[in-house]
Amino acid sequence: MDFKDRLLKKPWPYWMGGIILGFLNIFLLFGTGAAWKITTSFLYLGIGFLNKLGINTGSWYYFKTYGTGLGEGETYFNNGLMIMAIAMILGSLISVLLASEFRFKKIKDRKQLIFALLGGIIMGYGTRLSFGCNIGAYFSAIPSLSLHGWVFGIFMFVGAWIGSKILFRYML
Amino acid sequence: MAKHELDCMFEACPIPLLKALKKLNTMEIGEILIMRTDHNCSIVNVVEWAKKQGHYIDYIELGEGQWEIYIEKAK
Amino acid sequence: MKSSRIEELKRQRQTEIQPKKSQLPYLFFPVLAFFALYYYFFNTDKTYSIIWIVGILIGITMQRSRFCFVASFRDPIMIGNTSLFRAVIIGLIIATVGFGIFQYKAVGNIPNYSIDDIPGQIFPVGLNTIIGALLFGIGMVIAGGCASGTLIRIGEGHIMQVVVLLGFVIGTTLGAGHFGFWEKLFIFSSKTIYMPQYMGFLPAVTVQLAVLGILYLLAGWYDKKNNIMKL
Repeated sequence: MDFKDRLLKKPWPYWMGGIILGFLNIFLLFGTGAAWKITTSFLYLGIGFLNKLGINTGSWYYFKTYGTGLGEGETYFNNGLMIMAIAMILGSLISVLLASEFRFKKIKDRKQLIFALLGGIIMGYGTRLSFGCNIGAYFSAIPSLSLHGWVFGIFMFVGAWIGSKILFRYML
Repeated sequence: MAKHELDCMFEACPIPLLKALKKLNTMEIGEILIMRTDHNCSIVNVVEWAKKQGHYIDYIELGEGQWEIYIEKAK
Repeated sequence: MKSSRIEELKRQRQTEIQPKKSQLPYLFFPVLAFFALYYYFFNTDKTYSIIWIVGILIGITMQRSRFCFVASFRDPIMIGNTSLFRAVIIGLIIATVGFGIFQYKAVGNIPNYSIDDIPGQIFPVGLNTIIGALLFGIGMVIAGGCASGTLIRIGEGHIMQVVVLLGFVIGTTLGAGHFGFWEKLFIFSSKTIYMPQYMGFLPAVTVQLAVLGILYLLAGWYDKKNNIMKL
């Protein structure tokens, strides 16, 4: 298998992904002053939508106390985190097209749909309590030398164990 | 020697791997499992797992984003 | 490992299927979008252009290496496989060094620095972290993906992950709405623990690297131990 195939078509080894992601996170921190984080962009989508409906989310305790995190000139739909999210999707798309593996994968059945929605809601809710997701409260928090990253990691593991038990019971 | 087929199309992570494990458990040594999946994790995690267990495994690409994995139970 | 019967099956199948259609032509629009937006960001706010490039590279890397945080926790439990878990540790080790340097450069010479001045993800830890992490862990296995994985799968064409994203939007919004309630209940008592404040920069980085290193070795030993079928 020639080098071009190895680079572009075959999956890269996990450890290579780990190394690259570690360096990319450093590069992001050095270049922008902020580490990699994701879920707040999902919050912005929701809040932006509510604001369009006329609901004043600025009066919520959450935003009154912690602010919105938006920089100058940024809006809920137009900000650095949204750019990161779109970039990740586009990057994944480019990668999968290079290997000609793109495929519209339909939802299999109603059970799958419910689990997907429920899982997303539970995850989203959890991120607000712990101030981040698997990236913001773990992959970026541990290198930031904040204890909450370790605690999040340990209990994310416990939660994954519980979730696996649920999955076994209902999905298999 | 028996051939078993497993269709894992449209399944979410980690269902293809789990179904493969379950099926292989019920098979005899020498039997072959043919598994179809459109989950790209599978060609890495199923392959890695099977190799670790000592089974023979290989796969081909059926089309864009679809694979067929062959596992011969060896232990 | 090769088996002659598998080889035979493969050969036969190859004759039956049609050659794969190359999707390279479809790259035109995504790549165009990449360059166009990069040019736009570069001329409006350079920070955005950095985020854009890093994000694209993250997307490519995670998709190509099938990187999955869910699997990094799930595989050790389900199949005794820690290769992904160890890959995450490697990423953490590298980032710890880089982040430590950057943080030291930012506040290391300021005697009474405030936590708010430190770059990075530093937040209160307490019962809120535990509950939030449990919820996240349960949710990510049920949904078949975490926050990063969901975005990557959307890029691959998986419709289900769009539903997961919708769930995320609903969940985070609800969580923000209820935050006042949880804050009064227990978040107020959570403390932010920034480790260098308790032991200095170099010791904190060294200890963390040592712990990560030990975890890496333990995970490797655990993986080898599970070479025999274990369910």
